[in-house]
Amino acid sequence: MKARSVKLKEAHKNNGVSSFCSVLWDLQAQHLVTSSASDLAISIHDPLLHSKPPNILRHHKDGVTALALSPNSTCLASGSIDHSVKLYRFPGGEFQTNVTRFTLPIRALAFNKSGSMLAAAGDDEGIKLINTIDGSIARVLKGHKGPVTGLAFDPSSEYLASIDSIGTVIYWELCSGKTLHILERIAPDTGSDISVLNVLSWSPDGETLAVPGLRNDVVMYDRDTAEKLFSLRGDHGQPICFLSWSPNGKYMATSSLDRQVLIWDVDQRQDIDRQKFDDWICCMAWKPNGNALALIDVMGKFGVWESAVPSSMKSPTDGASSLQSKNSNGLLLFDEDDQEPSISGSLGDINEDDFGQAEPTSRKRLRKQSEFDEKLDEDSDDELNLLPKVESRKKASRNHKESLDDGNMKLRSVMVPGGPKMQEAFQPGSTPVQAGKRRFLCYNMLGSITTIEYDGYSHIEVDFHDTGSGPRVPSMTDYFGFTMASLNENGSVFANPCKGEKNMSTLMYRPFSSWANNSEWSMRFEAEEVKVVALGIDWVAAITSLNFIRIFSVGGLQKYILSLDGPVVTASGFKDELAIVTHASHCLPSNDQMLEFRVFNISNGTQPMRGRLPLTPGSCLTWFGFSDEGQLSSYDSKGMLRVFTNQYGGSWLPLFSTSKEKKSEENYWVVGLNASKLVCIVCKPPDSFPLVAPKPVLTLLSFSFPLASSDLGADILENEFILNNLHLSQTQKRIEEMAAAGLDTTSLDDEAFNMEAALDRCILRLIAACCNGDKLVRATELVRLLSLEKSVKGAIKLVTALKLPVLAERFNGILEERLLNETMGTTACPNSNIDASLTNEVEAHKFIHVVENKIASESAIPLPSPKFSSPLFSKKEKREESAKVVVEKTPNRTVVVENIKEDANHVQFRPSNPFAKASNNQEKSSLFDSIKKMKKTRPRSPFHKIEFILDAALIDPYIVRIWVLDGQVLGAQPVNRAMYF
Amino acid sequence: MAGQSDPHLSIFSAEEVEFIAEDEMMEIVPNMKMDPLNLICGDFGPFRPQIATEVPLWLAVALKKRGKCTIRPPQWMSVEKLTQILEAERESPREFHPLPFHYVEISRLLFDHARDDIPDVYMVRSLIEDIRDVRFHKVETGLETISARTHAVKLKNLSAMEVNIVRPFIVRALQAFYKHDSPQMIPQPDTIGNRPPQVADRGPRVRAKSHMPLGTLADTL
Repeated sequence: MKARSVKLKEAHKNNGVSSFCSVLWDLQAQHLVTSSASDLAISIHDPLLHSKPPNILRHHKDGVTALALSPNSTCLASGSIDHSVKLYRFPGGEFQTNVTRFTLPIRALAFNKSGSMLAAAGDDEGIKLINTIDGSIARVLKGHKGPVTGLAFDPSSEYLASIDSIGTVIYWELCSGKTLHILERIAPDTGSDISVLNVLSWSPDGETLAVPGLRNDVVMYDRDTAEKLFSLRGDHGQPICFLSWSPNGKYMATSSLDRQVLIWDVDQRQDIDRQKFDDWICCMAWKPNGNALALIDVMGKFGVWESAVPSSMKSPTDGASSLQSKNSNGLLLFDEDDQEPSISGSLGDINEDDFGQAEPTSRKRLRKQSEFDEKLDEDSDDELNLLPKVESRKKASRNHKESLDDGNMKLRSVMVPGGPKMQEAFQPGSTPVQAGKRRFLCYNMLGSITTIEYDGYSHIEVDFHDTGSGPRVPSMTDYFGFTMASLNENGSVFANPCKGEKNMSTLMYRPFSSWANNSEWSMRFEAEEVKVVALGIDWVAAITSLNFIRIFSVGGLQKYILSLDGPVVTASGFKDELAIVTHASHCLPSNDQMLEFRVFNISNGTQPMRGRLPLTPGSCLTWFGFSDEGQLSSYDSKGMLRVFTNQYGGSWLPLFSTSKEKKSEENYWVVGLNASKLVCIVCKPPDSFPLVAPKPVLTLLSFSFPLASSDLGADILENEFILNNLHLSQTQKRIEEMAAAGLDTTSLDDEAFNMEAALDRCILRLIAACCNGDKLVRATELVRLLSLEKSVKGAIKLVTALKLPVLAERFNGILEERLLNETMGTTACPNSNIDASLTNEVEAHKFIHVVENKIASESAIPLPSPKFSSPLFSKKEKREESAKVVVEKTPNRTVVVENIKEDANHVQFRPSNPFAKASNNQEKSSLFDSIKKMKKTRPRSPFHKIEFILDAALIDPYIVRIWVLDGQVLGAQPVNRAMYF
Repeated sequence: MAGQSDPHLSIFSAEEVEFIAEDEMMEIVPNMKMDPLNLICGDFGPFRPQIATEVPLWLAVALKKRGKCTIRPPQWMSVEKLTQILEAERESPREFHPLPFHYVEISRLLFDHARDDIPDVYMVRSLIEDIRDVRFHKVETGLETISARTHAVKLKNLSAMEVNIVRPFIVRALQAFYKHDSPQMIPQPDTIGNRPPQVADRGPRVRAKSHMPLGTLADTL
């Protein structure tokens, strides 16, 4: 038995001085926390991976004397010789607050079973009871005459037992704060040796209190009467310095100054195993879910004693859960047997009410760490199990009221949904807090704002990606503790949540450059908390916990305050526009968030868009913002990017999905997007967000619609087709907007033309794929979508080459049909070559008539010069300008005009390089001249055949024959070019 | 003596080899915005802040010198990859492990100009030096075994700088052997001497023409 000795590993350097050390397990036994009174650091070890370096928390300025972990393992408290008690998130270890300060060193800490209250005591006179939610001191218990070294809440949170260094134990009643029993000098007097601390511990069932006795033994005292029940006396040669109950209360581990650790069977009052160490063990902790005991000695060496209880005996955890359930259904002992198992849920709810403030915060902490989501459920389950203990006694004394309450509880448990939680407010492009590391408050396409927290203040830096052109912003020391920030070209805005009463929520704006000194400003909010901030071209917006949107000018003028109809999730600004996402309602039981978005135009004071924000089922929003072009976009936790479009009355298009990417094991952290690419930071799996150092590199990803797997097998082409269509429609919309605003759209026209060409190329390839896949109907549909005539010709060629005459015939039909339509149509589409040029020709005819009329009426005026400079033409100038644009796009054009009846009058006009002169006026005029000439030389003939040979930029030249009757086009037909050459 | 006086056999200088190596492509992360560069050797860019792009090493170094980018060290230039290669090199005394053809020059240039961009630069540097030493030691021990019976030397996966160092010696040594060993080779020293010294990119090798059966040095290396 004694052959196995426990190997101890150094966790803290005590420099040879024996000092009190502490060790703790978390609830799931996934972490082991150690500290030492001569070391500033708290270490969080992974008990499975010894090689892994522990997570070190260095926040205290002096040795850490006490540790306590909240029962749901989400909050770690530490007390130190530096007089402070600090709270950390667990297991992350992020520092949260200095929850209280003493005037002398702390010696003991303890959480109650719900985690809502922390007791702290030390060399000071009183024991402080602290509300963990807001850090307020609920009570100070005074009565000890020496330094308090041990604290223990009884499992039903009715009593607190404390022990001091002179050996006096006091029972306190928590609700009144009175002393119930004072047992003077029942434990050894440890004197001034601070490496030995008297401790005491309640049995897990709360019926007995174990205290080290004066005769090297452990003495058990009754819960209510504080009478001595029995003692465990055995082989300890010196006073006991630590004791610990096994989770089921069957066993106890004791350590003594004689350097031995004994395991006792409490019922038998018999020691069953022992182990001797080099130094005395000053702290022990039973593994909550296994047969193991963690130990730490006064030199700071710790180890785990596996199978501390011999395997022949019951496990120390065996029956622990039943004990808990017995406690949670403590009613069973006193009440009728009408409790259904389901009641445990409702009990949880009543506790949620009792500790209403405690639970939401602890959940909040958890929620921040999405990777612990699973644990959340377990934890809350455990809470349900553990919490009801609080009630058991009271219930016992008030049976009647109890049954009444039960009815209420059942009702309430129906009303309050348990599982899904509404998403918390977040700032797009921010990363969670990490202990001791810099993190992003804001990361966008422009730059980043990073912060790192030191003791009591933070250090904020603003960096631009483009170091050449971005302004240089000096770093800033932040005493507010900003957790939200936003950045644009002109300035940055910061805000902090309120922490307690003294630290109000503050909003601060810093412009990067201003003509006036001291042009940064700040606003404070009383009884209100900033949740999200956003920045625009001339405004700053803060959305607060009162569901207000507060809009400020960049100078700090409070311009508008609007009310929102739901708690905010996030917000983003782009130029004039502010987009806000709010909760529309509580989320569905299926864990779907119900979100709503709206866009405000700040300068116009309008709300152009509003609607529900779609999310992938079961996901939450992780990024929200505008693309470089100002398209509203969102990204959810299931990796789906959506972009808002005005099509279909305003809808969201799913443009990218992580699951469709090949490397799906990577996480994409979205930064922004432009018209064709998603910009993100690729994170290797355990991480879901980037670290500040090394500087993250942006990756561009192509959009991909979540297309169904088509029988065509040309997914890439289909994707390209939809994307091109989308881009084209967006561009056309912008052209319309620009034209409506009276702006020059030439460059956009060019862009649209290029897009059309790209779309046609894509469609042609799709047609080829359809022909190969024998999907002829689909091919015909596609041909109708081609925007350029040339492309249709190309399609005809293609199907001819593919030996599909039926299709070629159909395509020809389509081509003729559309040519007819276009020429008949009176409105010219500036984007279509042939259309415009045809109109141009028709125009020319009319034009000639006009000219002739003019000439007839005003014969004094000379014939128009080919330069088009005559004021006569001012009427037509606008038309011509539109024609010019078109002509520019068809660099080589030959027009053949002939008369059907008189072949002799066959006029052929073919400028070899019409644009060599860089002026199309001349070309145009010569063209018109020639037509005019033709008109003059030839009497009016009823039929003209005008033939165009168009050499557009992209496809082979082709010829169309068009019959015109007195300016009216009767028909068109493609002809063989060879006829004329 | 035929080879010694032949100017064609003279080696490249280290600078020249480095110059050639500067055409290797390198990934950089610019911190400025710039339109694409249309150069004779190709188009590079566009450059957008924080978005990685590929440029030749010379351009990367030029931008780095102006503080306009950070260079992303190539994949093989990580401590773990290099440790693997070093171990492999040590374990197999007879062959060389594939490394980028210009690994010596690239690492040298990066150590000179982009120290701050290489993680664990000291470790990487000492590893590369170790690898270089191990490999060169192999070359040297291998060359010691050149004898009259050796008619060709086959060295797989040798890098530019390594081959550049040993080339003149091997070629001349082989020629000397031919001269003394096979009287029928003496009348045509030109054919040997005029062989261009350039080595094919895919496998640096030094080979002399011979009508006799080829014995490879790789066996003896």
